[in-house]
Amino acid sequence: MEQFRIVIGVIGDDIHVVGNRIMQLALEESGFRVFNLRTRNRPEHFSQAALEVNAHAVFVSSLNGEGEYWCSDFRRRFTALGLADILLYVGGNIIVGNRPQDEVTRIFTQYGFDRVYHQKPDISLAIADLQEDLRRGSAQRHQSAAGH
Amino acid sequence: MARPSVTSRLQGIERLRRQVLAHPRAQGISPDEVRDFLSRLPPRRFPRTAYAERGPIPYTQPRGGFPTFEAQRNLTQALSQSGADFIPLTIDSYTRHNQYETATQLLRRSEEEGRDYLNGYPLVSHGHELTRELYSGLDKPVSLRHGTPDARLLAEVAIASGIVEIEGGGICYCLPYSEGFPIDRALLYWQYVDRVCAEHSTAAAPIHRESFGPLSATLVPPAIAIAIEIIEALLAAEQGVVSFAVSFGQTGSFVQDIATAQVLRRLSRRYLDECGFDNVRLYLVYHQWMGAFPQQRPKAAALISGAAIIAGLVDADKVVVKTVDEALGVPRPEVNAEAVDTVQYVMRIFRGADTITSPVVQREAELIGAEVDSILAAIFELSGGAFWESVFRAFQLGYLDVPFAPHADNANKLISMRDGNGSIRILNPGNVPLSDRSAAMERSLLESRVDRADKTYRQLLADINLMVQP
Repeated sequence: MEQFRIVIGVIGDDIHVVGNRIMQLALEESGFRVFNLRTRNRPEHFSQAALEVNAHAVFVSSLNGEGEYWCSDFRRRFTALGLADILLYVGGNIIVGNRPQDEVTRIFTQYGFDRVYHQKPDISLAIADLQEDLRRGSAQRHQSAAGH
Repeated sequence: MARPSVTSRLQGIERLRRQVLAHPRAQGISPDEVRDFLSRLPPRRFPRTAYAERGPIPYTQPRGGFPTFEAQRNLTQALSQSGADFIPLTIDSYTRHNQYETATQLLRRSEEEGRDYLNGYPLVSHGHELTRELYSGLDKPVSLRHGTPDARLLAEVAIASGIVEIEGGGICYCLPYSEGFPIDRALLYWQYVDRVCAEHSTAAAPIHRESFGPLSATLVPPAIAIAIEIIEALLAAEQGVVSFAVSFGQTGSFVQDIATAQVLRRLSRRYLDECGFDNVRLYLVYHQWMGAFPQQRPKAAALISGAAIIAGLVDADKVVVKTVDEALGVPRPEVNAEAVDTVQYVMRIFRGADTITSPVVQREAELIGAEVDSILAAIFELSGGAFWESVFRAFQLGYLDVPFAPHADNANKLISMRDGNGSIRILNPGNVPLSDRSAAMERSLLESRVDRADKTYRQLLADINLMVQP
């Protein structure tokens, strides 16, 4: 079976590494091939890495709330590199201050993220979603390949 | 193969110092003037004198740093009046990363606007002349607390200010504090700091160095922390440091704390003696819980009190205390003073408990001791012209591996979690050279835990959040 490739990393001037390390272990334990960019990343680090490793999905995290600042044109960067179909996830403490969940989700959905996990510490939810989305995504890819 | 040796003493220190002291922010520090100034400091400002007078309970040291001189002066007085035995000077994070101009600008803004734009005292920006005034009339040691991979200028300014306890080291202030600072450079820069400390030491009044054993404070196996503490003591001794404190952070396990203290004290003495450094006076420092702290103040107070009992139990020379506001932000001076008082109260009540022994502690100490010996033996065998080179190689090979260190050159192959007693066990040693026997023992002790989660990451999350259960 094909192993799905996931790029993960912390965005901005954020050196919170514990969640990042747990995330790597959790994804590996669930059978993914993880490319970990670790801490202090700019948006282009994610898109470049995704291109280089031919990633199926990118999972961005932010603990200090810098996510909103850095993520605004996130999807566009990937589209520009020909990665329009890639799955984009974001999670952690992605926004500064207290704002309602649905507002945060709306903001990041507009930025082009497929899934948003703001202040949801249970990683297993995200992993289940990822498996589901990838299954559906790869089925779609097979269909389009058969159509040619 | 490179064992620690006085022959590794940094050469041409005068030339190196001239270069560091030529920095405009060194503000005309003259080693001769500093030597004269240090000779006139009250003897009680030196940790060696203070430690020689220690009574039945450990000394107490809070943490604290504010940007402005006034606020730091108030904090210093509040802490001293509360009975703190060592006075901290915590440095802001811009200065830690050598960004002196940014620190200076944010200091000016803090002064003008009356609110804090820095998370500590920008010592290099304030300079040594002003900082001397911070401590005029004080007869307790002042401890430099920072997290700086390149602390050459900072240490020069600190010593010139009369701050004669310098915390840090090329490993303990690089791996947990930096993501990309080259480890070999950090080791060399800390050789400089150690050498300058030795140059300014006299037999009666040595500049004291302290290592930071908690490291990432996240599931670090005691054997890793102890090996690194011993390495930093040896590296400092090579440069001529004669007064040194090894330290460790509360592990979360009663048994493991007592065993760790025993092994740390015994093995650091043994390795120093074996390498010909029997002139080094050693002290043991205990850090109260450095991991995620409970938000609720009553729970935080309970944790602090429990840690105070353990500090007494392990007969630490000094305990570094937390406050009930740890989870909430930088504590106010009153809260810090309160913490000192509480910890001293608990230690006085429960004093003299250091006679407790048990077969469980003994077994734990034997295991940790064997692990430390095999890690250090393997590092001594590594190639290199000097000991620090073997240490650097140990990180490249993953012989030393600090869980959850943010540093990009950390191996991250070792996986640790807690056993049924809450002790930190090595599930997978990665490339850390443990004997088969030790590795098997670690695994079998881990199996004692009946409530293990189905996934490693779930267990790690629970173990990291040990102290913040609702």
